[in-house]
Amino acid sequence: MIDPVTLTLWRGRIGFVLIAALLVFLALLPIGGDAGRWPGPDVLLCIVFAWMMRRPDYLPLWLLAGVMLLADTLLMRPVGLWAALTVIAAEVLRTRSVLMRELSFPMEWAVVAGLMLLMLLIYRFVFALTLLPQVGFGAGMVQWLWSVMAYPAVVLFTSYALALRKPSLGEIDAYGRRF
Amino acid sequence: MARKPNDEIELTGPFRLMVVGLTVFAMLALFVFWRIDGPRAEAVRARVTDAFAPALQWGAAPITWVGAIARDFQSYARLYEQNEQLREELRQMKAWKEAALQLEQKNARLLDLNKVRLDPKLTHLTGVVLADSGSPFRQSVLINAGARDGVREGWAAMDGIGLVGRIAGVGEKTARVLLLTDNNSRVPVTLQPSGQKAILSGDNSALPPLDFVEDPSAIAAGDLVVSSGDGGIFPAGIVVGKVVLAEGKRLRVRLEADMARLEFLRILRSHELDPITSAGALLAMPPMQGPAAPTAADLRASGASDQPGAGQ
Repeated sequence: MIDPVTLTLWRGRIGFVLIAALLVFLALLPIGGDAGRWPGPDVLLCIVFAWMMRRPDYLPLWLLAGVMLLADTLLMRPVGLWAALTVIAAEVLRTRSVLMRELSFPMEWAVVAGLMLLMLLIYRFVFALTLLPQVGFGAGMVQWLWSVMAYPAVVLFTSYALALRKPSLGEIDAYGRRF
Repeated sequence: MARKPNDEIELTGPFRLMVVGLTVFAMLALFVFWRIDGPRAEAVRARVTDAFAPALQWGAAPITWVGAIARDFQSYARLYEQNEQLREELRQMKAWKEAALQLEQKNARLLDLNKVRLDPKLTHLTGVVLADSGSPFRQSVLINAGARDGVREGWAAMDGIGLVGRIAGVGEKTARVLLLTDNNSRVPVTLQPSGQKAILSGDNSALPPLDFVEDPSAIAAGDLVVSSGDGGIFPAGIVVGKVVLAEGKRLRVRLEADMARLEFLRILRSHELDPITSAGALLAMPPMQGPAAPTAADLRASGASDQPGAGQ
C-alpha cells in the first residue's frame, strides 16, 4: 500500500527524468544545429529552476546530479562543470525555498535570470582559466537571453499542463510535516 | 502519517551542506580529470553514448525523416528556378565529363609510365549519421560505425564530395566525427593553384577561417582548398572547399560538403599512426609512402648486373 503523498512525489521525480530525457533526445536529433546558427534556450535549466521554485522535493540532490551529469556526457559538454554549477544554483534555491515561495512571479523571474547569468559567467571564466577554446561572448549571451525569455513559458507549462504549483499554506510533505 | 524506515531522511543544517559540497566537489574533480586526461575521459563518454545509441537509432529515425521532409518542402517553392538551374548545370557538367574522361586516360597513361603504386590500404567504409552534438557550441556528429567496424581515431570523414571532419572518439558501435566547423578542429590544407600551406581552424561558424597563410596576397577568392596530408593523419588531396573573402579581408573557406544535411559519411581508412612516445618523436616523422628503401643485398645485386657495362 503506497500512500498518495509518496506516490505524487515519485510521479514528480519520474516525470522530471522523462522530461530531461526527452529534451536531451530532441537536442541530439541530427536536424538543425549547424554551425553559425544562433543558439536556442537551455530548456532543461529552465525546468530545473521552475521545479526547484515550486516543488524542491521533486528534485532531490542525487537525482538532479545524476541527470545533469548524464546530460553533460551526452551533449558533448565538458563533463561535470555545467552539472556542478546547476547543482550549486539549485541548492541555493532549495535552501531559500521558504523565501522563494512568497515571491511574486516577476521577482522569481529576476532571480532566475540573475542566477543563469551568474552561471554563464562562471562557466566562461572556468573555460578561460583552463584554457579551453570557447565561442564568442555574444553567442553565450544570446543563449542566456533565450533561456530567460523561455522561462515564463516553462513555468506556464509546469503549472498548468503538469499542475505543479507552489505548495499552498498548510500542505504537508511525505513525512507529514508542513512545508 | 506513517513513515517508512527506508525513506530517505531529509537532511538539514551543516550535514546537508557537507553532502552538497561533496557532490559538487566530485563533479569538479570529474571536470579536472576530463581536462587533464582528455582521451581517457572521452573514451568513457564514448562508452556512455554507445549505451544510448540504440534508443537514438529507433527513436530518431521517424522524427529526423519528418524534419527532412519539412526542410525539403521549403525547396518546392522554387521548383521551377531550381529545374532551370539544374539544366544549366547539367550542360556544363557534360562538357566537364568529356574533359574528365580525357584526363582520366591521360592520367592512367602517366601512372603507367611512372609505375605508381596506389596505396591499397586507402579504402573506405560508410556510416549513417545518428545524432549531432546536441549543443549549439559544439559541432560534431555521431555515426553508427565504431571500433567493431575497425574505425580508428583520427581517420578522415567525407560526404560524397568534400571533407567533413575527422574521427574523434570511438565507441564499440558508434564513433564521433568532429566537424571542420568545430572550435577544436585544426586541419592542414593546401591552397591551389598557389600551393601555399595553411591551417583550417574551425570557429563554430559556417565558414571556417584559414590560419597561418604565408602570403595572403597570393590567394584569390575561389581558390581550391584541399587537405595537404601534413602530419600524416589525413590522406592528401581531399577536396575541402573554396576560399572566400570575409569581412576584414579574413580568408575563410566555403566547405564543399553539405554540412547542413549530413546523412551518410564516408570514413577513409588511413595508415596506422605511430604513437608519439617522447617529445623528440614529434619532430621526426617517418616517411609516409613510397617504395621500400633498397636493402644492401638489392644494391649488391643491381651493382653486380651493372658491373659489366660500367667496367668497360
